[in-house]
Order: sequence, then C-alpha cells, then structure tokens
Amino acid sequence: MTLLEIRNLKKYFKNVKAVDDISFRVNKGEIFGLLGPNGAGKSTTISMISTLIKPTSGEILYKGESIVKKPSIIQKKLGVVPQDIALYPDLTGYNNLKFWGHSYGLRGKLLNKRIDEVSEIIGLKDKLKKKVNEYSGGMKRRLNIGAALLHKPELLIMDEPTVGIDPQSRNHILDTVLKLNKQGMTIIYTSHYMEEVEYVCSRISIMDNGKIIAMGTKDELIDIIKGQKKISLKFDEFSEDVVEKIKGIESVKDAYILDDEIIISTENGETIFKDIITEVSTTNSSITSIDIQKPNLETVFLHLTGKSLRD
Amino acid sequence: MRVLDIAIKDLRLMLSDKKALAIMIMMPIILTSILSFALGGTFTSEDSIGKTKIAVVKKYNIATEIEDFRYSLSNGIVSENISKSDLEKISKGVEELSIEKIFFKDFLDNKDIKEFLEYEIVREDEALKLLNSKKISAIVILPENFIYDMYTNFLTPFRNKVEIKVITHPDMNFKGRIVNGIMESFTDMTSTLIVGKNVLIETALEEDVIDKVFNNMNDVIDDITVNLSNNSPEIVYESLNGRNPISSFSYYSAAMTSMFILFSAGYGGKSLLEEKDNITYQRMIIAGVSRWKILVGKFFTILAFTLIQIFVMVTFSTFVLKANWGNIYIVTIISILAAFAVAGLGTLIAVLTYKVGNYKMTNIFESGIIQVMAFVGGSFIPIDVLPKFIRFLSNLTINGLALNSYFRIMMGYGIGEILKYLALLVLIGIGLMFISIYLFREKERYYYVERVDAENYETA
Repeated sequence: MTLLEIRNLKKYFKNVKAVDDISFRVNKGEIFGLLGPNGAGKSTTISMISTLIKPTSGEILYKGESIVKKPSIIQKKLGVVPQDIALYPDLTGYNNLKFWGHSYGLRGKLLNKRIDEVSEIIGLKDKLKKKVNEYSGGMKRRLNIGAALLHKPELLIMDEPTVGIDPQSRNHILDTVLKLNKQGMTIIYTSHYMEEVEYVCSRISIMDNGKIIAMGTKDELIDIIKGQKKISLKFDEFSEDVVEKIKGIESVKDAYILDDEIIISTENGETIFKDIITEVSTTNSSITSIDIQKPNLETVFLHLTGKSLRD
Repeated sequence: MRVLDIAIKDLRLMLSDKKALAIMIMMPIILTSILSFALGGTFTSEDSIGKTKIAVVKKYNIATEIEDFRYSLSNGIVSENISKSDLEKISKGVEELSIEKIFFKDFLDNKDIKEFLEYEIVREDEALKLLNSKKISAIVILPENFIYDMYTNFLTPFRNKVEIKVITHPDMNFKGRIVNGIMESFTDMTSTLIVGKNVLIETALEEDVIDKVFNNMNDVIDDITVNLSNNSPEIVYESLNGRNPISSFSYYSAAMTSMFILFSAGYGGKSLLEEKDNITYQRMIIAGVSRWKILVGKFFTILAFTLIQIFVMVTFSTFVLKANWGNIYIVTIISILAAFAVAGLGTLIAVLTYKVGNYKMTNIFESGIIQVMAFVGGSFIPIDVLPKFIRFLSNLTINGLALNSYFRIMMGYGIGEILKYLALLVLIGIGLMFISIYLFREKERYYYVERVDAENYETA
C-alpha cells in the first residue's frame, strides 16, 4: 500500500533549483532511503513533505490526499527528526520530551507513559533529569529522535540522524530505526553515508543536483553497474601523474584519489592488475596493497554522476 | 498545543538563564540600593527631614537706609503729599517699627517656623561656601534697600518692590523648595498687610480723616508686628501638592523597576529568532503548532517574566530598603498594565528581529534605546528636575508611564489620578501587538532548508 506519493515535485528558490521534478512512492512499512551528497535536495524534499515549505509545483499525497492543499492531513501522523538538534539545551531531557509531547497534543498520564516508552527506546531513561547541554553529541541525537516518536507517528522522517556522532551512538540509532520499522513504522531515511542507507533501507532513491538519478532496492541499484568492480590501491607514496596513467588503461572506466588511496572502476577485475602495475612502475610510485571490492552504492553513485558521495 | 505550554517552556528557559537573571533581577536590586544611598540627599522622607539650615545674607546697610528713609520723608516725594505733623508721626513710627525685628524675631524665630528652619547670618561669600559644601540647604538674600523699601511700604502710602532671593543646592531640591515656600509666605503676608494699610490710608483720605490714622500710627505698627507674629505661614510637611514625601529608596525602587522591565522586552525579543536558529520553531510548525500561538506564547512569556521582575523588586525594596509603594492593589494594577505594554514591545522586537534575521536590533535596543528611555522616563534623574519637553516625552515611554504611576501612588494619590497613564500603557501594549501581528502575517522562507541545500545548488 502506498503511504506517500510524490508527483513531479519542484522547489525553486530565487535562482536555485533545489528540487527539480522528482517523483517516488513510499510504501507502508518500508524504510525508504534518500541517498545523495550534501546539497542534493534531500532536506528540501523532506521540508516539503513535512509541510514546512510549499513546493513550487507538483503534488505530495498522503494516503491519496494532497498535503500541499491540506497540511493538517499529515501533521499529526508524521514524526520528523531534523538534521540539526532541534531541542532546548537549557531544559532537561524530560522537559524537552514533555514540551514536544504537548506539541502533539499529548498530556497527563498518556504523555508520561509515552515519555517512559520513548526514553527506553532511545536508551536515555536514566539521563532524563540532566539538562540537554550536559549530554554528549550521541545522546542529543537520540533525544532528537525521541522527540519525534512520542505521538507514535505512522511515518517517520529522519534527516541525516547520525551526523557528527561516535560509532557506538550511530549503531544504536541504526538499530533503533530497524526496531521501529519492525513495529510497523514507515520510515524515510536520508543520509550521505552510503553504508547506513545500505544497512537500513529496503528501497533507495539516489539524488543529485535536485534530481533522482536512480531508484530501487540495493540489489537493483547495484545491478546498474553489473560486472563493474572497484579496486583500491594503496601507496607508500605516489606521483601526481599516476592517476592519469591508470585512467589511460583501456579497461579502466574511472580512477580517482580518495584520502590516501586511488580508487579504480573497471569491468575487468582479474586481468587488469598486470596493466596497472606496468603503468605505476613508469612513475615514481610504489604500491603497498591492492584490494578488489564488490560494487556498492558508492560505486553506483560514482558511475551515475562521475563523483564521490563525499564530494 | 496550548499557548500556555509555550509560555511555560519559555519561562523555564528564561529562569534557567543565569546571565539573564543577573541582568534583569540582580542588577536592579543592586542599582536601586546604590542609587538610593548615593543620591539620598535629593529626596527626603518622614524620618530624614529634620531642620533645614539656611544662611541669611544682609546686603543692606541698616543705618544708612533708615537715614535715607528719614531724608525722603522730609525732602522727597513723600513730603509733598503728607502734612508736616503727619510726617513727624511717621518718623516716630520708624523708631518704633523695626524691620529686622519683623523679619528675624517675629518671622524666622516664630515658633512654627523654628521647627523647620535654622538660620545664621553670614556674608555672601561664606554663605556660598556653606551651600557648596551642603552644610546649608539654601541662602536667603535680603537685598539692598530692604530696610528702606520695607519702611516705605509699611509707613507711607507708597509701595516699593522688595525681592528676597533664595539660592538652593540642586542636590537638596526638596529642602530648597521648602525655603522658597517660606520666603514666599513672608512676602505674601507683608503684601497683605501693606495692601490693607494702603486701603486704610486711601479711605481715610477720601473721608478726610487721615489725621486720625496718623495719630494712631502706633496702633498701625502694633497691628503689623502682631499680625506677623500670629500669622506665621502654615507649614505642613508634605510633598508635592500636599502628598506623602518619597524617600530615595522608594523613588529608585520604582525607577529601576520601570527601567529594568524593558530588558525583558529585549530578552524576549531575541527568543523568536533563537527558536528559528535552533530549528525548534520549524519543529513546532511541523507538529502543526500555529505560528500565531508561538507569537502569543512569546507575548505571555514576556508578560509573566516582567511580572516576576516587578514582584521581586517590590518585595525586596519593601522589606529590605523599606520603600513605601503605597496602595498595593493599585501597584498590582500598574504592574500588570506595565507588563502588558512591555510584552507588546518585546513581541514587536521579536518579530522585527525574526524578520531581519540577526540580533543587531535587540542589541541596539538593550545597549542604547533602553538607556535613552530610562533617562527620558526619569529612571536616572527625577523627572521633575528635567526640562518640560523631556517631561512630556516621558509620558510616551512605557517606563516613564509606569514610573509616573508608581510615583503618584507612593505619594498617596488614588487610581483616578493615574487613569490617563494606565490607559496609555494599555494603548501602547495593544498598538505594539497589532503592529507585531501585521508584520508577522507574511510567511517566510525557512533558512533551515536554504542553509543546507541552496548554497550547493546549481543556479536555475
């Protein structure tokens, strides 16, 4: 069953095409991922679904009804976890949850019960008496999620919920997302971290420059680049011309520097090594390791846009 | 969500902000205490009135002036209009009527006046030194020809102008006004006697019984001295217009309260943009909370915080500084209406700051405009010593209206006397709220989105 449908959605700011004619559907009970680099249009799309801003054109339907015309249809059914920590740092965790509970019309015993349940889910039950400004980054992120769960939303939108936190908190959040989904919650998850989207999302839409450039399950997306492989080369040191030399090899589709590695995209993973070593030996570079990686969403994105997700 | 939920949350935030509490609660308490002690001399209270010390400067020469008067009796215009025998009787009157006795013994040493005034006769330069060092509250200067003119006024049908000059110290404004009043009462009383005497003489001339009047010159002189002795000016120690005096503690408690409630408007003025910056504003909108509820929530937050400020100040000043605020019910009404106006101002600042998108406006308001309003409104210097134009302007400021209202209630006026100030406070509050609503009616773009996305997009 389609819970949310986006039809030809556009959002133009003065001289910027933030979202440029996108369409997709989110089915009830799925985790739908929006993957794309910073500035791809993910947050603008989410802001329109959240009724925070009106689209320039297009339609957003929630259970078949237009929320562009009638925002109240979705407002009480929707939980939004903003990318920024939208909390009051000088209030305690409890008072923050209480306030956001009030914002969804919860009061009295029901509110206290929900604060109890939510604080259990986010793992902050014994930390609620502390002021938020005494929380770690990860705890703030978790409370930020908790504030969106109080009213048991049908649809939860999470906008980059793991930005800037430690791996332990990230894992906790990702597990929470899966747990909530198991309980029947539909989730839209945006991130520029390919691994997160791969881990939690059942269907993924890849965005770039305000457009959706690919959409499907993880396997469907990887099928786009069927047969392609990713090779990473590590060097003691490498000269500037080595990337150009590698790009010159016939079966290499692309090569670029990522941190201290050179990443190569190719359709010929087995026989290419000889050519690579020959080309590298003509430069002042010395390889320390070669690693063949399976294709992933990063490779797909690279294939589709010619740039890295981290660009 | 209820407006009350927003207001309670905002109030919790305000009360947890130690810096804000220091500025808005502790500062007025400290400043009131300092100013009340430092500038106490400008005011007075029931306990601190005591005797007013003055210096009297005689600029006349008594012997010369009596001689001059006698000379004018025999040679001047007086001699042309009065018969010789009558002139002799007047001359005799000079011996029996002592002007200095009338001023010093009969008037200044009068029992009633002595309760309030203590004088010493000094040279003018010494008197100025005493006044500058605040050892006396005023100088009374008896002018040249004082004796001559007074004799002329009392004993002849003519009248010369006698001007007694009073110099006061600006720091002892209240006592200075008392001295002025006493001196005015002296001239008023002597004028009454002189007018009465002139009427008597004119009537006697018309009835051709002037001889009888001059034959009874002794009785006339006696009447003058008896009158001056018995009719001392009525001195009731009350403040302006016969109301309760106000101590510096009372005045500055009200003055600082009226000033510092403006900081609530400044503080509350930041809150809307802060919500937007923290994305909590957007989060409320997403939750379906009306932006009008958010705005009204800010209004009530500022209103409630202002009332807390006033409550703390009134309680502290009453119990610690022994300030007398007057009728507490009327003070409560003034406080609620002043808080209402401050809330209107704070809401307007909040909307403007939100629309502009930075905190420059609130910073200018807090660091500049409040100071100007405080000065104009009489929070630094009592308004009655400021020029008339500024006194007019004070009625256009919230703190000025609040202070004027508190001030009058402290003096013992009823609510009827301050209705115009209260009405203005209500009008200001409503007016500012209307402007806020008008300016807030347009929906805006949320830079939450712009900041994240727009900067990175290709241009359309």
